[in-house]
Amino acid sequence: MRQIINLLEHDFRNFFRYKWWLAGLISMNLADLFIMAIVYNRMLTPEITQQIKSYFNFFAPGLTVTGLFASAFMIGREVNMERRREIHQYMLSLPMSRWELAIGRVLSGGLRGMVYMSPLLATCFILVGFPSPAQFSIILLVLFFLAMGISGLSIAIAVSTSSLDKFITARGLVYYLLFFCSSVFYPFSLIQQLGQEGRFPMALVTFARINPLSNASDIIRSFLLGNPPFSLDMVVSVLVFSALFTFSAAFAYIKLIERA
Amino acid sequence: MPPIIRMENLTKKFGNFIAVDHLNLEVEEGEILGLLGPNGAGKTTTILMIATVIRPTEGTAYVGGYDVRKNPDKVRELLGVAFQEPKMLWVSTPWDIVNWHAKVCGLPTEERKRRVKEIMEALDMWNFRHRSVHALSGGMRKRVEIAKVLIQRPKIAIVDEPTSQIDIVGKHKIWRMLRELCNQGTTIILATNELYEADVLSDRVAIMHRGKLLVCDTPKKLKDSIVGGDVVEIQFETDPSPKMVEALNQFKEVVKIMKTKSSTLRLYLNKVEEIVPKIMGMLMKEGASVSSIHMSEPSLDDVFAHYTGLTLEEAQKEGG
Repeated sequence: MRQIINLLEHDFRNFFRYKWWLAGLISMNLADLFIMAIVYNRMLTPEITQQIKSYFNFFAPGLTVTGLFASAFMIGREVNMERRREIHQYMLSLPMSRWELAIGRVLSGGLRGMVYMSPLLATCFILVGFPSPAQFSIILLVLFFLAMGISGLSIAIAVSTSSLDKFITARGLVYYLLFFCSSVFYPFSLIQQLGQEGRFPMALVTFARINPLSNASDIIRSFLLGNPPFSLDMVVSVLVFSALFTFSAAFAYIKLIERA
Repeated sequence: MPPIIRMENLTKKFGNFIAVDHLNLEVEEGEILGLLGPNGAGKTTTILMIATVIRPTEGTAYVGGYDVRKNPDKVRELLGVAFQEPKMLWVSTPWDIVNWHAKVCGLPTEERKRRVKEIMEALDMWNFRHRSVHALSGGMRKRVEIAKVLIQRPKIAIVDEPTSQIDIVGKHKIWRMLRELCNQGTTIILATNELYEADVLSDRVAIMHRGKLLVCDTPKKLKDSIVGGDVVEIQFETDPSPKMVEALNQFKEVVKIMKTKSSTLRLYLNKVEEIVPKIMGMLMKEGASVSSIHMSEPSLDDVFAHYTGLTLEEAQKEGG
């Protein structure tokens, strides 16, 4: 446990070396929220407007998840850079077990995501509405597990790709797939409708339903906006994703990094 | 006393390339063992296997009685490694790097603060401790790397080319600090391709070439083991003719002649005091123009050449 705390210190120190850059990013995320809300509100069809009322309210939880995703994914870039510069050899020589090292890295990636996301979530609460303490606990728990899963996913990609180019390409594909096929930017009912009309592949509709980003966004929406209705399946989806990627990342980190 | 490190047929292959080839070597507790060899000899790969960073393909090593394959966690508790290339993120500062390293190695807070300051001051790094690593010179980065081990004071320290890129004053300072570390009870493996460093610092030297161990003994015994251990280097004004080389070979005291440069011959011989006047007489008679003559006892380079037929410099070029 002591070594995991040391790893958290290591990764958080590196994270906050970019504090001004992070502040800039958070400002940009918030600016995106306001700009997109204004523009999209005027572009939505009456049917959609009926469903989501205000695009600002709809998108604020989605943006929180977007920020969480981007920041939790940053640990992968660092792990990839460490591998390319052979800094991982130093990490592997330290007096800690491989599991401590792997879990420490995944955990720090996830917690960094939570820290980055906090102002976005606070903005969401202030402007959209506050959840009850129980709902707030569930939101935090779900977002924490989501952050762990994303951090794990990014580490798994980072240790499987040998160059920065490949890592960025893989990251781009994951971004594209997870965000495009999710309810972060548009309601799931719209995706479902497009699927039924044959304008969107049904496989991707199914993916959007189980996508942890969809479920995390919708859990916040269900507590703040009352729509879509909360279901335990949403939480389970996020937990399964998190468990899967946290342990696959730890396994990949342990197995692949020694081969480098 | 059993050796603190024992390597048994330690082998590492990368695809078809054999980086370390069935290495059998023992390191005694409290000694400085120099691993000497050109680039590509397998020194760093050996170190990485001992440090449990990479897994051996065949064979194993026992560190403090623990098998690197079966008990890597226990092995790492005994080790401190200063890598050949400083392993650090360039946005970090020297203080953050060494302080965090000391913390991970379990040094209590007060002792950690004291040792970090003490070592950083001794290595002339204290004034630069809050600068980003990318703003430091190569030599200064190397000092940060070696500082980690000096602060940690592990049971076994592995230092890979500890003074490369460091100025001569710094080199002597680091050599002295490594010797002090050894005197405090740390066993040191020193991987180097610098002959002088291996000679002055090592209690024993293991010479490696192309992944294999050629020989291992004290520097003195290694030098004494060479037949024709005295060396005479004769520099001619023009290329010495084959006839002249043949004439030199006729002296029974001359054991071996190597052409080290186009106009320089290195003679390995016995009874240097008696034979050199005779050689000079012969050369004058043959009308050879000698620009300089230099006599020396054998160096570790000669030992290396004796076993490989190459000077360390030539082997370095060969190894890339």
